[in-house]
Amino acid sequence: MQKPALCRALPKNLAVLQDRFGGSDDFYTKKLSVGGIACAIVLFTGISSPEKLCRLALDMLDRDPAFFGGGPGLCEYLLHQSLIPAEPQPASDLGEIGELLANGMSLLLIDGCEQAVVFSTQEMPQRSITTPSGEGNMRGSQEAFTELLRNNVSLLRRQFRSGTLVAEISTAHTRAKTEYCLCYDSALAPPETIAALRARLAQIELPVLLDSAYFASFLKQDKLNLFPAAAYTERPATACARLCEGKAVVLVAGSPYAMVVPSFFAEHFECLDDYASGAVFAGLIRLLKYLAFLLSVFGPGLYVMAVAFAPEIIPVQLLTKLAQAEAQTPLPPMLEMLAVTLLLEIVREAGLRAPQSISHTVSIVGALIIGETAVDAGIVSVPVLTMAAAATIATLAVPSLYEQSILFRFCVILLAGLFGVLGLTCAALMILAMACGSEPFGYDYLYPLMPPGKASVRDGFVRSIWSELAKAGEVIGRHEV
Amino acid sequence: MKCEHPSLYAALLVGVLVNVLLRSQTAYWCRAGAAAALVCAPVLALVGTLFAASWRQGATPLLRLLFAVLLAGTSVLELLRLWNLAQRLYPGAVMQLALCLLVLLPILYLRRVSAISQTAYVVLCLLCVATAGMLLSVFPRLRVANLQNIALTLPDFADAASDQLTLYPEYLLPALWPEPQKRGRHTLLRLAGAALGFDVAIHAVLELFYGAAMPLRADPLHAAARCGALSVFTRMEWLQLILWVMAVTVKLALYLYAMTRLLGGESRQENAAANLGSFCVYLLLMPTACLLLRGLDVDAALRWRSAFTWGFVILAWIGGAAAWLCRKIRRCS
Repeated sequence: MQKPALCRALPKNLAVLQDRFGGSDDFYTKKLSVGGIACAIVLFTGISSPEKLCRLALDMLDRDPAFFGGGPGLCEYLLHQSLIPAEPQPASDLGEIGELLANGMSLLLIDGCEQAVVFSTQEMPQRSITTPSGEGNMRGSQEAFTELLRNNVSLLRRQFRSGTLVAEISTAHTRAKTEYCLCYDSALAPPETIAALRARLAQIELPVLLDSAYFASFLKQDKLNLFPAAAYTERPATACARLCEGKAVVLVAGSPYAMVVPSFFAEHFECLDDYASGAVFAGLIRLLKYLAFLLSVFGPGLYVMAVAFAPEIIPVQLLTKLAQAEAQTPLPPMLEMLAVTLLLEIVREAGLRAPQSISHTVSIVGALIIGETAVDAGIVSVPVLTMAAAATIATLAVPSLYEQSILFRFCVILLAGLFGVLGLTCAALMILAMACGSEPFGYDYLYPLMPPGKASVRDGFVRSIWSELAKAGEVIGRHEV
Repeated sequence: MKCEHPSLYAALLVGVLVNVLLRSQTAYWCRAGAAAALVCAPVLALVGTLFAASWRQGATPLLRLLFAVLLAGTSVLELLRLWNLAQRLYPGAVMQLALCLLVLLPILYLRRVSAISQTAYVVLCLLCVATAGMLLSVFPRLRVANLQNIALTLPDFADAASDQLTLYPEYLLPALWPEPQKRGRHTLLRLAGAALGFDVAIHAVLELFYGAAMPLRADPLHAAARCGALSVFTRMEWLQLILWVMAVTVKLALYLYAMTRLLGGESRQENAAANLGSFCVYLLLMPTACLLLRGLDVDAALRWRSAFTWGFVILAWIGGAAAWLCRKIRRCS
């Protein structure tokens, strides 16, 4: 089918464009004359600036005494002879013109010419570069990605000053034609991984693409697996570090989060500060994070199992206190723990979604008033509340695994509460199998933690000193077994 | 880092080690066992190697079906053995159906060979740590004087050899993996050596612990683990149950993967996951079979299983030799 295209008559072209975009109040057209030839500029105000267009082209054209020889001559002159920085390719297809206008370009329609000259006059309102809001670090760069794709690519390139950094910008198959950018180091990234990622991204069809996380589900090999297929960062510095490991970074227009693929389990326990502080302290903090993850997932379930099925593992003094506390509450430990955990999640969700002015109130009401009154009324016991709160706080030590921690916690509480030791085992094994079964692009998800080896202590459970780390940088695709 | 050729050695090792851990009775004196192991380990490795060679000569659909039946039967027996043990040690703690489902459910995520491989490594590590912990905690109660110094007779060696020559499907499974050269050398010898070495070592510990009373004790390993004053198992004996369940799950996952390969044909990709539909059928069939066979004498059935395995291996050898001969004759003519 032939695509609708521009014709030679300017009034007809303007009429077509008016018909197509004229319903929008931000659609701007202005007729003018250049060297005696009737022309018109079209653009969307707000994302494209008429002033910029004047500075860039119209003023110069006005001063230029050249003789253009009709519309096609003017077009030829603008594209190939004049110093005016027009885009090298003119536009003629109406679909393409729509996309260009939506990207903030200005078009100069010329009477007698079937092509429009394109000028890059984008002037979009944008958020300035700020500090990361959800990825706290004490040392290192404090810049965060913003919503503009080009800005994000430039932030990345500023950190990664090497000619081997490749940034491939493509348009996703969405209704909104959202752009995304695949970044990788051509010298380090395994070509087969990049090719596979590029192909998979190109195949994805979505109604809307608002965040890089939308891609993640399509990159999973096993859809039943709850572990994430990718990691996310809002720090260009972290993205740069991942590029140095041979991984790929995917940026999506309109999202300040970069997606890193492939991603391994151990990465969720790493942060920039690990490498800026001493190896011993960093190792200790990393071990604490692993413990926190285990506590957040298994803590409440273990408590329910111990109280309901295996009280012999609890020291006698503690057992007495727990028994007294449990005797005063009407619910069995499993239901009690489930109720408290659910309530804590509701409080968290309410605090997160409520307007900022009342979110603190929600938190205080939830945590203090409901918690204290529930204990006073004998609905829940203090040990259950303590364990649930400790698990919730422990979850925040590994924020990137928050969703998984919560889901696993509920699963462990349910299975341990219903089947005791066997239920706990089943849940533990399922989680372990899920982690072991994750294969981001054919790589072991548990690398370098499992199988245990030098790599596990080099930069896994703990990290070595920098002189050791610097000997051979960790790059995926190398040392394959 | 990249799991193109995941090794199933850890899973095979877990599979054979769990047989030692779930043993309800000791089988021999450790001296006789050590001597027999020197012969039995190479014999088992040789049997496995010959089986692999004859399997590659051309496994007929009948052999495939028999192998799949052997694996399915062994899976049921493993579940029944675990349930019997749980019933003896934690009477009334768990229903058979619940145990079956809880053991089988994690296999949902163990349908891929790389998942089995990695999980087996973790379970193996946990088994090693638990065994070391158990040994340390019972160490004060091990007496060298308990070692039996009576002269060993031929029947003692025969008992040890007959126990050690129990042919588990793990020795036959490497025949199913494609490109065996990429999985390290002497896999079967290492596997048999590690399994029999572990078995003899556990028998030695139990002999040091119980002395002459060793053959009379039921579930000797569990009882020994609970004894030490320092033992974590005195208060946390459920740790053992956790380890057993984990090991049996890995073993069953390995069997399911092998069954998928057997019934799906050799052309299946090595790392392809077992179909979700076939897993659901498996999840239904196993508990049903366990329910139907709940009154079975598991120890006797395990002996029959070993005899069946030997018979199957001999059949495979004959089939392999016949296929090889046919090929030779065809080439000559």
